[in-house]
Amino acid sequence: MRRAHIQDQPATYERLVYKNTSLYHYMRISLQLENESTRLSAAQLKQLICSGLRDLYGESNVLQTSDFPFYLLSNQTFPLFRSLFLFVSFSGLVKLWSALTLLGSYQNELCSFRVTQVSPFLLTLSGNSRELELD
Amino acid sequence: MVRLKSRYLLCEVCVSDRSNLLLLDDRAIYTAAKAAVARAHGDYGAALSSLGFSVKYLNAHTGIVFLRCRKSHYRLIWSALPFITSLENRGQRVPCFLNCLHVGGTIRTCQKFLVRYNTQQLHRMLPLCQSEGMRWSQIYFLLLFCTLLLFHCLS
Repeated sequence: MRRAHIQDQPATYERLVYKNTSLYHYMRISLQLENESTRLSAAQLKQLICSGLRDLYGESNVLQTSDFPFYLLSNQTFPLFRSLFLFVSFSGLVKLWSALTLLGSYQNELCSFRVTQVSPFLLTLSGNSRELELD
Repeated sequence: MVRLKSRYLLCEVCVSDRSNLLLLDDRAIYTAAKAAVARAHGDYGAALSSLGFSVKYLNAHTGIVFLRCRKSHYRLIWSALPFITSLENRGQRVPCFLNCLHVGGTIRTCQKFLVRYNTQQLHRMLPLCQSEGMRWSQIYFLLLFCTLLLFHCLS
């Protein structure tokens, strides 16, 4: 009954309100290690992030947050920090962020993740006013 | 007045050897369930589920367990139950699995379900019984089941 009623009506203006801006979010983070000279490959970084997620949220939640580091800034650009870009679904954002906050050690070495920027748009991560150098 | 709502998970412990059932106690199930939740849901799940989690009733003869948990996160424990593979009691490891039969809001509703479930099982198993003696022993067993439960709920 209800379906027939909707079909009879002509298409009207419809206003859609999204509670969140996007399905996916991009995070720009940096990893600080106790020993500055250690270098981590992309696979090791992913393993570290997954282990953090596993500790906090268990086996069932590791795959739900579809995150993969897809770009790694070279050390020449930012000599002190290593920047990492993560791509995660909106529902997994809180889980990933909390797991990164609570991650404290990598192979008996102190480490910490600093979340620099979070944005639903990738282009916004290209500029950061905190690291802007004025002439 | 705000009422603290809880959920009772009615589970059945299935073991291959029935005599091993008698070795079980509520501590073993409690630790096994907590370990399973910690493995499946991490520190977050373990901490959240430990609020108001307890083993309310355990019948060693029939293997029926009542797990009580909060209404807001009973699903965490429910989803972790299939990951329990064995129960440990005084150094002995009993391989088993927990079969969740019913989720109820009170012990009374779980008991009503149990009585209905037992009558269904009886109807299913009686035609398979070969002899009169076996039939009577089945009925007796299930009656014992219900009365033990009643006794425990009233006490």
